[in-house]
Amino acid sequence: MSEKNIKNIFVNGPIAPAFIADSIAKHSSKTAIGGHSIFMGQVRKDEINGKFVSAIAYTAYEELALEKMYQIREEIFEKYPLKCMHIYHSLGTVKAGEICLFVFTSSAHRKPAIAACSEVVDRLKVELPIWGKEIFEDESHQWKENS
Amino acid sequence: MEIEIISFGQIAEFINHQKIEVDGIADTDAFKRYLEDRFPTLKGMKYKLALNKNIVQQNTEIKNQATIAIMPPFSGG
Repeated sequence: MSEKNIKNIFVNGPIAPAFIADSIAKHSSKTAIGGHSIFMGQVRKDEINGKFVSAIAYTAYEELALEKMYQIREEIFEKYPLKCMHIYHSLGTVKAGEICLFVFTSSAHRKPAIAACSEVVDRLKVELPIWGKEIFEDESHQWKENS
Repeated sequence: MEIEIISFGQIAEFINHQKIEVDGIADTDAFKRYLEDRFPTLKGMKYKLALNKNIVQQNTEIKNQATIAIMPPFSGG
């Protein structure tokens, strides 16, 4: 088996808007790109039984998640003519209104970037061993379930 | 034989990281029976196992010094 380039996707705490801006800026030298697609997940202040979510605390089975993400990345690059793809997911506490997921795909023309971005988001929600604990304003909690 | 158990999410609230010394658990189906017997809360829950970092899709043989992760449904993103 060839050596795998397993990339880390995890960021401690929220993903800063400045990090996202910087990530976009870095692509100005990649002049074969004609379209980017970006998805950002933001922690929603859901109301559940009269209580509001104030934050989500994320944990993961990191080694397994990174291995699985590697497989997804390989399959997506096989399926779509992408120039690049970047994925970041928070661990630890992310407050309502902050960014917890950042998926960024780029291609020569827009359609592969858009389709790949959407497919990666769908797949990582189902396939990566990551758990979100919704913390309420009174510090009680419940475990998030992806619908 | 020795099995290391790790757990995540909601399941980590009642199953701690631990090593167990057991005999007669030959495969993942037997391990599930052992777990649900020891931790009855698990019976009503959906969960998956990962044996040595591979998600268990079908009954699989367990060897000495295995690491088994108990994972509730994923909720990333």
